Amino acid sequence: MIENLLLGFETAVSPENMLWCFVGVLLGTVIGMLPGLGSTTGVAILLPITLTFEPVTALIMLAGIYYGSQYGSSISSILISTPGDSSSVVLTLDGYQMARRGRAGAALAISALSSFFAAIISLIFLIALAGPIAHFALNFGPAENLAIILLGMATIVSFAGENILRGITMAAAGLLVSMVGVASGFSTARFTFGSVNLLSGIDFVAIMIGIFAVGEVLHQIRRGGEKPIRARFKDLIVTKEELSRSFPSAVRGTGLGFAVGVLPGAGATLATFLAYGVEKQVSRFKQFLGKGAPEGVAAPEAANNAAANASFIPTLALGIPGSGTTAVLLGAFIIFGLQPGPLLFEQEPDLVWGLLVSFFFGNLILLALNLPLAPVFAQILRIPYPYLYPIVLFMSLIGAFALGNNTFTLWVVFFSGLLGYFMKRFDFPAAPFVLGLVLGPLLEKYLVQTSALGEGSLLIMFQQPISAVLTVAALLAMGYPLVAAVIRNLKVRREGRAAVR
Amino acid sequence: MSPEVVERTGPPRNRPELSDVIGTSILAIVGLFAAISGFGYGVTVENGQVGPGFLPMVTGGFVFLASLAEIARLYLSRAGTTDGRIMRTVEDIEAHAAQSIGAHASSTPEPDADGSLDTFGRNEGQRNRAPFFIFITFGVALALAPVLGLLIALALAVLFVLVIVEKRIWWVSVCVTLAATAFVYAVFVVILSIPLPAGMLGLI
Repeated sequence: MIENLLLGFETAVSPENMLWCFVGVLLGTVIGMLPGLGSTTGVAILLPITLTFEPVTALIMLAGIYYGSQYGSSISSILISTPGDSSSVVLTLDGYQMARRGRAGAALAISALSSFFAAIISLIFLIALAGPIAHFALNFGPAENLAIILLGMATIVSFAGENILRGITMAAAGLLVSMVGVASGFSTARFTFGSVNLLSGIDFVAIMIGIFAVGEVLHQIRRGGEKPIRARFKDLIVTKEELSRSFPSAVRGTGLGFAVGVLPGAGATLATFLAYGVEKQVSRFKQFLGKGAPEGVAAPEAANNAAANASFIPTLALGIPGSGTTAVLLGAFIIFGLQPGPLLFEQEPDLVWGLLVSFFFGNLILLALNLPLAPVFAQILRIPYPYLYPIVLFMSLIGAFALGNNTFTLWVVFFSGLLGYFMKRFDFPAAPFVLGLVLGPLLEKYLVQTSALGEGSLLIMFQQPISAVLTVAALLAMGYPLVAAVIRNLKVRREGRAAVR
Repeated sequence: MSPEVVERTGPPRNRPELSDVIGTSILAIVGLFAAISGFGYGVTVENGQVGPGFLPMVTGGFVFLASLAEIARLYLSRAGTTDGRIMRTVEDIEAHAAQSIGAHASSTPEPDADGSLDTFGRNEGQRNRAPFFIFITFGVALALAPVLGLLIALALAVLFVLVIVEKRIWWVSVCVTLAATAFVYAVFVVILSIPLPAGMLGLI
């Protein structure tokens, strides 16, 4: 472990990597702040810029954009009540209220401190757990890998919220889109409609640029905006009471965020809502939540950053993305000729450990930037959005062309943008769709291999202890919400009748 | 509603949004198409192993059935049946936050004869139309790219959006467009050496 950390340290502190780490977190902060542009969009749009970099440098910069935007999106939630990313939505409750009460600077400082605390604690757990999990996963065969992917899909279902069926359906729709092109392990072309462009499938990064950049930006245009509240340097001083109230919430948020973030498909957004929900139950000052309580800033912010770091565990150790942004990062790994998963730790230790150690420096830079300079960053919010969004669309399309190197990719982005806009407008969840899209090829690959191993029978999944446990867990996670919904419906109906009687 | 009717039917049913029903119906059709196509691709191969059509058939069938179940849920579910779930707290907070964002967004606009203006200076009707104008503009730009070249076509789209859709000052819009184009050219063409399609004009 120490040896790996030293190797990672050596890689991360090279001047080139430090420079691009700085550029990444800076760009991430700015992108995260812009309404409608979150970490997924930031990583997807800027991925082409890193194409000429060394893989480790590129990944350090892209990861910097990821956690930099977590900090940035909090600024816009607090100052204009407009989250840059879905994981900062909950911050509009207490962060914006603090700002309206003249505590904008304190809210920004609590947000930065909680984020940093959670990032460092979760990074320690990430470093401690990712290696052993990857080592353990080396023993996995196709059946175990298939079971893990099914469990990931089941997690999406379990946390799909009120519209469980809609969540499942969108995940399955993502799977269907991933099947376009020549089938994995076969020579049959599927859903290509005679188009040569579709033979190699649809690039999921292009779809994500469409859904998250184009779709989100257009949704933001439809929504309108809010004038920013001014934050001054002297307001950044947090009172002793605010600090002592925030600390336990940040600790709880970190623990919960890490636990949720490590599950493939659950994501940071869910972690922030759960953390806020826990505060509403256990905080000593729960009566102030929603009225500008520091706990309502500290807990979700800590959960957000802890979940973001935790989502790297399934991504790096198992090759299964934990969130939308890590899905794009997974695409970046593949573009650089690397396959995330257990073998990556064996084959590219300097890259993996360099990347993980860079998180520490990146977060340190972010704290140094955000604590004194948050009011300066906030000035970006004063640039009129009508000047910004056409440039974002311009950059998105050119970036997509750079990735695919053909005009067909541009049309994929265009129509995905249309799809993303309608999904957002009519409340069809994008996260299950994207995870289905990313997990689809892996699911099919392991399904075909498992079927071949079992000579046509998939019951082989129940013959190995690990795959059996994971498969049963997946089936339970998938079945429980549906059965519970039916039981609840019947119960309410019965109670309704009883009340009338 | 009389007690007899309530006794027979239970609590009132939810009234679904038309957009929900249409969106879910489209998914059902896509699922059915995929499931039928799956049979055509071959569900199994030798020894009964999974074939190229297996996953499209299973996933498509699943999407079809889940969409039908969702449509049924939209029409048949009853008010109050979502209480007591694990995710209920999360949804309540989410709804509260969404409501709070909406309340703040509507607190600043000034009243207007045509509705309320947002910080972009648009009323509700213009807000609803703007995304479509922008989509059409960029769609036309992509269609013109083989003629004008990608960079020029997209730069013109940006200028059009700024001057016509957003009604910004023309010379500021021209400056912004030129600066953005120069930045994109410098990053993608000069630094990354990515050959952008120059079209029939062949300029840049």
